[in-house]
Amino acid sequence: MAQLTRRSFVKTAGAVTVVGAASLKLLGADDLFIETLKPVLPRASGKPEITEEIVHTTCWIGKQDCSILAHVVNGRVVKLEGDPDNPRNKGRLCPKGQAQIISFYDPYRVKAPLRRVNGKGVPGEWVETSWDEALTLVSDKVKEVRAKDKRLLVWQKGRSKAEPFYDNAFVPASGATKLHHGAFCSDAGYRANEYTIGFNGVLHPDFNHCKYLLNWGWNIVNAGGNKLCWITFNQQLLDARGRGMKVVTLDPWKRGAGPHTDEWLPNKPGSDLAFFLTLSNVLIERGYVDVDYLKKYTNSPYLIKSDGYLLKVDGKEQVWDTVSSSAKPFDAAGVNPALEGEYSVGNEKVKPAFQAFKEHIAQYTPEWAEDICGLPAERIRKVGEELGQNAMIGSKIVLDGVELPYRPVGIAAYHVTQQELGFQACRAAIMAFMLLGAIEAVGGLRSDFGRKTHGNFKSLDEVQIKDPPYNIWLQNSKYFPINSNNSSLVARVSQDPGKYGVDYTPEVLMIHMSNPLLSFADQKALMEWLGKFKFTVVIDPWMSETADYYADVVLPAATIEKYEGPSSVNDGYNDGSVIRTPPMRPQFQSRADIDIYIDLCERAGFLYGKDGYIDKLNGSLGLKDPYKMDLDKKPDARDIFDRWAKSSGIGEGVKYFENKTVANPKKFAIKDLYAPAWNPPYGGLRHRLYGESLKRYGEVMKEKGTPENFRRDYTPFPTWRSPTMDSSPSEYDLYLISHKKIMFKQSRSTSNPLLKELEPNQYLEMNPKAAEARGINDGDEIVVESQNAITKETRQVKVKVQYAEGIRPDTVSMSHHYGHWVNPNVKEVGPAPNTLFFSGEGYVQMTADQSFQVKVRVTKA
Amino acid sequence: MVKYAMAIDLDRCMGCRACMEACKIENNTGRNIFWMFVFKQESGEYPNTTTNYMPRPCMHCDNAPCVKVCPVGARFKSETGAVLTDFDRCVGCRYCEVSCPYGVNYFNWREPADNQYYHWGKGEAEGKYGTADIRTLANGSISPYRNPTLDEPHGAEKRTVAGGGHYVGVIEKCTFCVQRTDKGLDPACVANCPVSVYTFGDLDDPNSSISKLLASRSSFRLLEETNTHPRVYYLGTPMPLEHRKHLENISV
Repeated sequence: MAQLTRRSFVKTAGAVTVVGAASLKLLGADDLFIETLKPVLPRASGKPEITEEIVHTTCWIGKQDCSILAHVVNGRVVKLEGDPDNPRNKGRLCPKGQAQIISFYDPYRVKAPLRRVNGKGVPGEWVETSWDEALTLVSDKVKEVRAKDKRLLVWQKGRSKAEPFYDNAFVPASGATKLHHGAFCSDAGYRANEYTIGFNGVLHPDFNHCKYLLNWGWNIVNAGGNKLCWITFNQQLLDARGRGMKVVTLDPWKRGAGPHTDEWLPNKPGSDLAFFLTLSNVLIERGYVDVDYLKKYTNSPYLIKSDGYLLKVDGKEQVWDTVSSSAKPFDAAGVNPALEGEYSVGNEKVKPAFQAFKEHIAQYTPEWAEDICGLPAERIRKVGEELGQNAMIGSKIVLDGVELPYRPVGIAAYHVTQQELGFQACRAAIMAFMLLGAIEAVGGLRSDFGRKTHGNFKSLDEVQIKDPPYNIWLQNSKYFPINSNNSSLVARVSQDPGKYGVDYTPEVLMIHMSNPLLSFADQKALMEWLGKFKFTVVIDPWMSETADYYADVVLPAATIEKYEGPSSVNDGYNDGSVIRTPPMRPQFQSRADIDIYIDLCERAGFLYGKDGYIDKLNGSLGLKDPYKMDLDKKPDARDIFDRWAKSSGIGEGVKYFENKTVANPKKFAIKDLYAPAWNPPYGGLRHRLYGESLKRYGEVMKEKGTPENFRRDYTPFPTWRSPTMDSSPSEYDLYLISHKKIMFKQSRSTSNPLLKELEPNQYLEMNPKAAEARGINDGDEIVVESQNAITKETRQVKVKVQYAEGIRPDTVSMSHHYGHWVNPNVKEVGPAPNTLFFSGEGYVQMTADQSFQVKVRVTKA
Repeated sequence: MVKYAMAIDLDRCMGCRACMEACKIENNTGRNIFWMFVFKQESGEYPNTTTNYMPRPCMHCDNAPCVKVCPVGARFKSETGAVLTDFDRCVGCRYCEVSCPYGVNYFNWREPADNQYYHWGKGEAEGKYGTADIRTLANGSISPYRNPTLDEPHGAEKRTVAGGGHYVGVIEKCTFCVQRTDKGLDPACVANCPVSVYTFGDLDDPNSSISKLLASRSSFRLLEETNTHPRVYYLGTPMPLEHRKHLENISV
């Protein structure tokens, strides 16, 4: 023996000292010294046989499908690394991107198709079935219910992946009613943007040029924007900080923004609308108004009659022309419209919308807002003044030879719009940036990366409010003319469908990568709702709470190990496409989601022929001849991507993505990047300062007998009122808000033990002074009780307290990533805040969007 | 002679802990073992609070106390300056752990199968949600994503120094990813940091990015007064030493 290593020494000793090992046990030691006899892997003499290959694929957890290089050694994935060719992640991954490797090998995945053998509403007892049996079982139910009435089939998917395959092909082919997740995410912000400026997104800055960022309610360094994952958002944020961008954070809790915010405005939860109305008040008072933009590209100069409707002649909106001192069509040649003043046209007293806005916000002074927002008047005034100065109204910049308006002031916001007055608060925020002329200006507000306007600008303005009966999510109803499709509300409606004018009860539910019981507010109502379905199938890699309690059949889906996509690599400035390719075969008996859908459609009888799944895929993927699929030939996922790639001009087809990263990479030209440079500018839209249709909806709702609390926020300008939660009795003296963490993202990450290790437990974040006043110490278990100000219902959970100085003393916060009880990895980690939130009146917005704010009290457990 | 060092820009850190995850998977370290650790702390009182994030790898000291106390020569200063552990020599006395002022050593209390989050070796989950032989999932490798190259000899000294979780009863810590630096790659934490907090390279090369960075910006090292001569340099705002509180817990 050349060298006596510790292992070989113990091995020798161990052979003769069995008694010694036993006596160690008696002394209380464990098998420690004996176990050293067993190295992890037998070491072959010489070098182990290693074959390594790199597979190009994408992240499966986050929203933006960052490109990944999967290192595969001897057939096993040993590491996931960022791919430097994708502009969104530039060779890096977030903790989720790294940790998802363990999902390939998660022994608690659903490993085979399962069929329930016990009753619902309790933990499932499962028997393993063959794929053939499971698919037949599911497709027979789908076939049966479609023959009866397609409305009885309901489909719900978690956050979007590969929409062309699921949302845009399976839904129209099957005729299922699609339930959304957005009403729990940020859809109020989307609706406000679509309605006001015609962009599909929440609020995002032009980081490349922004110098002053208002960070509204956003965990700026631990979350990411609505269009980007954390990783890209922060790379751009840090670059902007490096150029000297100032960050002002408006948030009851400072959160991760800590080292990367220059000024913190801890406002009261639910007061955001008041803040933004006041901001406009300050901007107008101080004269920070981009008159040129407002006149040319908004409806600010449109004349409003005394009844609140726009003056129209031959269907055309009118402005007051200061050249001829007369009303003229807004698009008449040579007009210079007035923004202010009152005029007479015939017998009609009229004023420009801007004049009406100015009058409307005169009441919202910083002093008025002080108590409502919990912020000193001078600090609100200071933000307004700084925004006004930094906006440099009137300034221009030339980029690549294109002259553009330059307004280096931005705003970032996302989930914060899910509060009772969120739609109007977001609209008010946009309006303040409209005053500054910062919409789509260089350095200003850019909500969408798609570089085109959204159809909802028009369709949300032209909603035809119907009389009952309504569908299950009350589309075009007298309750929610603008409607983000909220599953908690669907659950509540199902408790008493007649009350809401719904005359049917769905029977078959398909859930794909979603866990309604944990994801959505009001677990109690959701349980009742799920219990009403005659048949439920869940497609998921894991046994979710929803599946374990309510599924009849669970079909195991693969994680990364499949073909899926396509995804964009748009980081706001560059674009291109990627798809997910499998670095291994689907693990256990799981299958790629797309293959599962193809089989289900075939067996349920709507795969082939016109309007079948294949036909819809040809459309949703935009396949051109000769790459369109035959309507009578069953495709597989790889073949479909091959056709899509070739149809998109990628000659190599799907092989391209198996060997490289981004296809069709491009940098946006300046003329495409900024909407003022488009032809016509802003896509020809007149941004909607005045929401005439909101007023119209409110009046139609009144005529149709809609209760006041559904219609009171349908006002043409955002109008402040106290949130409903403020009328809870005074003993409910704290606001509960909720938050998310960089380590988690929905069902795909919550059961991951490596991520759980970083943030193992739920805590109620609480200011130490507020806690001490209630005799609560750091780490104490307490009872949190929420109260519904309308129904007086109360709900309680027990949770541990964590002191946090960076939170308002009247506010507490809980994370959304806990509360699971089925998967062994995530049991006993603390409750979900969704068990404390309410749905329905007072806790749902005018757009049917969920509010994640409620008044609570805390007592020692 | 190459002289590896690391610089950490505290003004860029976002506290996401992606480096901890990248390190963990690259090196196959076990439950609650973090060769790279990011502290997240809050100080001050509402509303005047500050938040700080501070990554802490092994300092790879030039005057490393852990090397001096190791009774069997398992802990050694390698040719590149990385402080490494020879897993074949370590007897698990934990003197290094006691002597280190930075708390970077982790002892393997559990056997490899128990040391990881899933008990792949025991197949506890085999019958749950459908059957599968968990033990054969990755030809018996524990963890299943363990890279077999970790078992090869590494460094100029060609000793068993890479990766973690080899055996119960040995100490382990950050190696500056010797298996990566051998190939000319940056350590996993450095390569993965989404916001480029880290700079890694050769201090003996005046043109390396780390030499240039340290020449252009002021830096400090942790506990310099203990005369350990760390190879890890910090740039930016130091973490306050008083009235601070850990933000968010971790299962250690």
